[in-house]
Amino acid sequence: MTTYIKRHTLQTRLTHGISVVCILLLTISGLFVFVPALNNMLPSEVTFAMRMGHRVIGVLLVLAVMISAITAPKGVGHLFKNYFAKWDKDDKTFMKRFLPYMLMPKKVHMPDQHEVKSGQRVADGVLFLAGFMICGSGVVLMLGTAPFSLAISADVMIIMRLLHDIAFLMLAVFGIAHIFLGAGLFQPYRRMRKVMFGNGLISESDALYHWGHWAREELDKGEKVVEIDDEKK
Amino acid sequence: MADYAIYLDTSKCTGCKGCQVACKCWNQLPSPLGKNVNKPTGSYQSPMDLNGDTRLIVTFKETDTDQKWGVNWSIGRRSCMHCTNAGCVAVCSSGALYKDPNTGFVSVDESKCVGCEYCASACPFDVPRFHGSQNKINKCTACMDRISNGKTPSINEDKGETETQFNKPACVHTCPAGALDFGPRSEMIAKAHERVDFLKIRELNPATQASVYGENELDGLHVITVLKYPVDTYGLPANPSVNPVTNLLDWAKPVTGLAAAATVLGLGVSFLMGIGYKRGDLHYDPQKHETIDRNTGEVVWRADGSVDSHDKAASKNKKGGE
Repeated sequence: MTTYIKRHTLQTRLTHGISVVCILLLTISGLFVFVPALNNMLPSEVTFAMRMGHRVIGVLLVLAVMISAITAPKGVGHLFKNYFAKWDKDDKTFMKRFLPYMLMPKKVHMPDQHEVKSGQRVADGVLFLAGFMICGSGVVLMLGTAPFSLAISADVMIIMRLLHDIAFLMLAVFGIAHIFLGAGLFQPYRRMRKVMFGNGLISESDALYHWGHWAREELDKGEKVVEIDDEKK
Repeated sequence: MADYAIYLDTSKCTGCKGCQVACKCWNQLPSPLGKNVNKPTGSYQSPMDLNGDTRLIVTFKETDTDQKWGVNWSIGRRSCMHCTNAGCVAVCSSGALYKDPNTGFVSVDESKCVGCEYCASACPFDVPRFHGSQNKINKCTACMDRISNGKTPSINEDKGETETQFNKPACVHTCPAGALDFGPRSEMIAKAHERVDFLKIRELNPATQASVYGENELDGLHVITVLKYPVDTYGLPANPSVNPVTNLLDWAKPVTGLAAAATVLGLGVSFLMGIGYKRGDLHYDPQKHETIDRNTGEVVWRADGSVDSHDKAASKNKKGGE
């Protein structure tokens, strides 16, 4: 028997999954539309279709996240409570050791963490901010051009374009790092992919390694603890 | 090849709209043919602004003469100014808009245009227009298809001899009043100054605001205009400038590419350093409030604080916590 803790609900995993698919498609379509070298590889009709697809997928992403947030206000509250929680000594130590740990994981060891690591708070905070920026500016850019062609001033359109580009830069850097860690490519983070893309459960050992304070709290309470027979599994 | 320019002398323009029609004919841009499709506006200017099928319009503005009769009628041209510092080229996402290296004109490769319309928001003259049904941007190309296709013989009336010239843009070719011309930019600027001097001395009061427009604006336009009246009479900005944000956009793509590459490189090093990492099999006992390593049976964390080697025990690497 192996002890697991429920970390992510089905709704969280679905929202994350839809977001991942949308962001991948948005990145591909965005690069092919906005990078001339890629754009010129395809007929303009195809890039036009990609540009239109970029808008449709962007709207789907915004809708998916908004619907998920509206239908689970407690979850959103819990999320923000964790993200804005006061930093303790372990949180600060985690941040101090983060870069050395990433480069020398066998020598540098991390302290226990709460439900959301301090590093997660910073990185996800940037992803949230960039997400808001890119979605907001994208909506304005969409409304200011055909077929909507609302009377949005040229200056606003240019600033929105810059915000879109800056947000993409932030998403590119932090998104790549998020994938590296979240997909478990980094050896100490192996098996992490299954937590968000699997059944939402994390093994007791992995939970204690990554979020020691949180894991012990949940194991003490027992509400989210699941015992699974690995042989049957 | 030196920079070339289109020359316009507004003091010679008769407002015949021949250039407007020639532009439409050469570029196969249709006009609405229905009865009363263009609403009456009280102006000779028609249409009132550029649109997806109209790259060039002759502008008309009437102003009072302070007399009992007549008007001051300033006739101008509204089309791409072919800026040296072209904001539209800087923001073009697909590379469809480009500066022709041989002439300096800003032209369009429609096969590359994705219709994002960012050029429209970056143009200080508000020129590019979206062609809805084609999903392309539409603007003056300086008839690059004409002028890039060799030279044709023409008669130089002043010298009375035949010489070869670059093919002219359709608008210039058709101008019956000699208000439009085409040639090396430096020659067009010299011609414009000569004309302004003439206007000030011979025709108008020396205090008149006749001027050359396009010599220095935006690092030099490739449409050199002799303005008979003050610049605002023609609806042109006195000091056109490209939004500074436009120049920042030029940096966005390479900076993002470099940042992404640096991130991948850094994480690649991290990946290599993590290969072979071993982790302990941890188990927490809620009754005893302590964490043990199943592999060794060692207590690595205890709630009372007597043992707290959890972070080291979690890592089972040689140089790590063991």
